[in-house]
Amino acid sequence: MSYYDIDSILTDAEKVPCKFELDLPDLGYLDNNPSHALKAGTQLALPLWLAEMLALANTGTSEDSRAPVTLNLPEALSERVIGALKADPRSVPLRDRSAHFYGLGTHMLDLFEERELSAILRRTFVTRAADIALHARKAGDDGVGGSSEDFLRGLDEWERSLFRKAHEGTKSTKEWMDKVKKR
Amino acid sequence: MALPLPSGLVPNEVGFLCEMESVTVVPRQRLDTIDLLSGQTPTLRPPYRANLPLWLALLLKKQRRANIVPPPWLHPDSLRGVIHHEVKVDPLAFSPPPPPPARADARGNAHHPTRPSAYDDVALSPPFLSSCTSDAPAGALPYHWFEVAEILLAHAADDIPSASEVRSLLRDLHEIRAAKMRKSTADLEQGVGGVLHLRGVGAMELAESRAFILGVVEGVRRLGASAEATRREEEEEGRARDEDEDDEDDDMFG
Repeated sequence: MSYYDIDSILTDAEKVPCKFELDLPDLGYLDNNPSHALKAGTQLALPLWLAEMLALANTGTSEDSRAPVTLNLPEALSERVIGALKADPRSVPLRDRSAHFYGLGTHMLDLFEERELSAILRRTFVTRAADIALHARKAGDDGVGGSSEDFLRGLDEWERSLFRKAHEGTKSTKEWMDKVKKR
Repeated sequence: MALPLPSGLVPNEVGFLCEMESVTVVPRQRLDTIDLLSGQTPTLRPPYRANLPLWLALLLKKQRRANIVPPPWLHPDSLRGVIHHEVKVDPLAFSPPPPPPARADARGNAHHPTRPSAYDDVALSPPFLSSCTSDAPAGALPYHWFEVAEILLAHAADDIPSASEVRSLLRDLHEIRAAKMRKSTADLEQGVGGVLHLRGVGAMELAESRAFILGVVEGVRRLGASAEATRREEEEEGRARDEDEDDEDDDMFG
């Protein structure tokens, strides 16, 4: 992943639910309550880059030092979505869950030890990739339309770039074939 | 930042490279040898066949100075056989590439069946292999099958027996193999350990789906990266523990 990779920057801006473990003075405005301190136990959605830093930070040197926040799995990777993906990877519009679904997924896999989640994400990606290739190949014939439109709208950023690559290949082959005929 | 060029050859470049393949022509006029960078072309004398690079053969064909002999694998029967193999015999893999060019004589000594005099000392790997001449094996698709077939159908359709049938068979074959190519990425479900089988895939097909397949492999790698890191750590720990035990054993004997 490059430093300039816009997708990885945008992935870092995805919100994840966090629970604060400490009272934090002067931060009440985060919870729409500017006059009070932020209470321990408040649930807030923080951007991934901040949440990750806070969750891994160490607040003190004592034995019972805790990180200021605990992370939870984001809505996009909740039980319900994972269950639906397990049943049929094709039927879930991933983009409605998160535009950077897989990016979020890999970040979460780095933070949590989730063997099953990893296997399900991989199966989802591979199964949907075959469909993406099919749509990318057929896209040029009659325009993107019909039943494929719903599926294509549900692709997340990784899958969109995959679609673009597959379509590029088909298109340049077609162009070459036309060129041969004209010469 | 990365170079914005795509990795590997793009279809245009593959199409250009395939014009180096040699094909068999039946000349209609005499033509002396031409000194080319790749060697001398054979002298053309009308009734005798000769092997020329595809681009030169096309040039002569356009000037009506030669007819191109289509390679045997471009015959409808051969293509039907390949389609049968792809669909019925082995619906999961691609049909195998043509056998390497060696033939044994009566005493069992293998030798090259075709030795075009001009290309005598050239290694017979795909771009230089005479896989599109009239004595190429039938029933197997060479590396540049799609491009050569397209070019011949576009410019020498009158030299190909039942060209329209060949054209429709080629369309079928291309679709069948593209579907297999898409399906082959499903092997990666088990992690990167699952291997993509691409034996017998042609150059143009590779150029067409290279970016897609690399994208899928890269995605699977990134999804499995953390699991892989954990596995490696565990392995390291296991090895460290084994070494500790070994040390203790040494101490006991020491």
